Amino acid sequence: MKNTLKNPVVYWAFVLPSLALYFLFFIYTLLTSIGYGFTDWNALEPAHYTGFANFKQAFDDSDFWVAVKNNMFFLLFSVVLQVPLIVFFSLLISGVKRLQGLYKTTVFMPSILSTSIIGILWGFLYHPTDGLFNKVLGLFGIEPVSWLGDTKWAMFSILVTNAWQWMGFYIVLILAAILSLPKEINEAAAIDGATGYQRATRITVPLIMPIISVVIMLSIAGAMRVVDIVLVMTNGGPAGATEVMASYMVNQGTRYGEYGYAMALSILIFAIALVLTAVYQFTIAKRQEGIEY
Amino acid sequence: MNRKLALVISSVLALSTVLAACGGSNDKASQSPSASAPAASSASASPSESEPAKVEKFDISLRHIQVGQAQQFRKAILDEVVKRSEAEVPGANYEYDAVEDSVNRWTKLPAEMAAGNPPKIFDLFGGPGDGQKYAKAGKLLDVTPILDELGIKDKFTDVSTFVVDGKIYGLPIGASSEGLFYNTEIFSKYGINPPKTLDELEAAAETLKKNGITPFAMGSSAAWVPLMMVNTMMARYAGPDIQAGLGNGTHKWNEPEVVAAFAKYADWEKKGYFTKGELGIDYAGQTDQFITGKAGMLFDGTWRASSFKADGDAIGKALAGKVGYVAFPSVPNGKGDQTAVNYNQNNGYGFSADLNDNERAAVKAFIKNMYTDEFQIRGFKEDGVLPSMKVPADQLTSDDPVISKILDANKAATTVFPHFDSLVVSKVNGEVEKQIQLLIAGKATAQEVTDAIQKVSDAERAAAQ
Repeated sequence: MKNTLKNPVVYWAFVLPSLALYFLFFIYTLLTSIGYGFTDWNALEPAHYTGFANFKQAFDDSDFWVAVKNNMFFLLFSVVLQVPLIVFFSLLISGVKRLQGLYKTTVFMPSILSTSIIGILWGFLYHPTDGLFNKVLGLFGIEPVSWLGDTKWAMFSILVTNAWQWMGFYIVLILAAILSLPKEINEAAAIDGATGYQRATRITVPLIMPIISVVIMLSIAGAMRVVDIVLVMTNGGPAGATEVMASYMVNQGTRYGEYGYAMALSILIFAIALVLTAVYQFTIAKRQEGIEY
Repeated sequence: MNRKLALVISSVLALSTVLAACGGSNDKASQSPSASAPAASSASASPSESEPAKVEKFDISLRHIQVGQAQQFRKAILDEVVKRSEAEVPGANYEYDAVEDSVNRWTKLPAEMAAGNPPKIFDLFGGPGDGQKYAKAGKLLDVTPILDELGIKDKFTDVSTFVVDGKIYGLPIGASSEGLFYNTEIFSKYGINPPKTLDELEAAAETLKKNGITPFAMGSSAAWVPLMMVNTMMARYAGPDIQAGLGNGTHKWNEPEVVAAFAKYADWEKKGYFTKGELGIDYAGQTDQFITGKAGMLFDGTWRASSFKADGDAIGKALAGKVGYVAFPSVPNGKGDQTAVNYNQNNGYGFSADLNDNERAAVKAFIKNMYTDEFQIRGFKEDGVLPSMKVPADQLTSDDPVISKILDANKAATTVFPHFDSLVVSKVNGEVEKQIQLLIAGKATAQEVTDAIQKVSDAERAAAQ
């Protein structure tokens, strides 16, 4: 048995089928997609090579840059607002003794729901006349806000919904890190007279920095590929105010049949995401590795 | 012991998979009451055949957009057509695939066309952005021979938006026009008469607004909804041939009359004549606004008439007998016929070019059963869908007060005009949708909006040459 498994022919026999499938469904499709990015393919007629025309068009396309800007909103919102809140809530939950399991489950719940359901549910909350938020505002005599219909508010409304959906997931990650820290460190600090706030900011947070870094990383990646929540809640509207890169790409492909252009956009999206994550990795994340206790 | 347990578990799993598969087909049977018909009726259809007919069963996919309660009457007609067709074609099982209208038109069908696997029968729009594009790419079945064979080719009033090189690639299911529904109760309460001129319409809107009622119910989260009214206003200001002109490039989006139409619309936006927060309200929400009496008027297609019937859906029937209908009033200094009404027969059924003999027979049966006087008249009477075929004029009467009013309004018109989206390419249509939302949001003026649309229109025209 042992000798058989050491025989290269045998392990190739096991590896080859999955490698073949991997090439067929991933590498091959990826390469053809990249290839189509340089054509005027409309999926109905044969494609013609057009060089960098699609990329030039993308750089001149103001609508695409609005979408890029909206992705950056997503990114900033996640990293600057969401992550501190996630850490704060994790510290709170880690501090409670009773019903901790209940809190963990409750905050985690939204991330197991489907985005479509969340989009529709929050659509009701945001409804201009019958929605909960406007009803509450109405109690204070404040004029109803058209949350998803106002170009000023639509993006913010989606960001809040998205944050609600995903914060719980990250809270559970960070909570796990906090709870796995050796208790002695905290206890020693407490004996030395450190307050809860001091222990949290001076001990716990620095010690869980690697996992916070991972959360930031995941937030960046998430902000780059966000699309479903936008499609469900506003489909990029009103007037393109909430369009993100991926939804813009989908629309260019399916709605207008400009698959060549859509492929070029997808390459650009990939490049932008790659650059952002690389910059983060090589600057901030690198410095936070190797914490020992 | 463990092995036994594994065996039991895996056989349960295997069995449940098989059962689930059966369940799937049972589901289908219970879904459409017609599914049980073919076996029995095909036997009776050909009793003369001596050999016990070994019927080869086959599925034929049928994509429709009759989703939800507002479409219940049209769905019932479809069910009847499918039932009859299944009885005629041995072994045929029409497999329903219900998809919401705009999802089908803008997302699902284009993707399926690109991938080369559209359903065999599907809901299709005519025009250069949809049907004609697919026909040119060889994706649609040329139904001309089938129409010849059935002898109904000349029965259609107008199939032009489905025609490429003299061949017909789709069949309009019905026609519709668009106009103003109004709440008669609210109108009489405030002493408003059905408006005949633009001034009267604006005065009515002012009165409603003063009394805390939204003049026009509007839900613009999907831009085609406000564009219905804009389309008619364009025809009032620029004449009923404007849509054709924009389609073939002899007219421009930013010519003064079209700008005037957009400017009037923007003016009404500013005066608050439309539902507040309309960009966050969808089409169903717009209907709700009207049905619940929050809005006095509703500019919509005649297909909406069935929502206000006594035997209609639970909410809408509260309005039964309380809804009036007028064509959009004339505008001062408007060009051309001011009585012209919008008349679309752009939506119907198309068929995949890729059919085997069985499927071809099923398609033929579907066309034969669907496109009859009977269903044209039934669609009209039950649902306010105007016929797309020549049916005896004396049949086109209705007890339904709303539909009678629609008929009166249309009779008064001597000219008809289409919706521009059946004549322009999808990129231009997409730009109009974006720009109207900018106009509604107050972020662009009528001139900026129309200039932007013209720019895209020019670019598309240049690219096509």
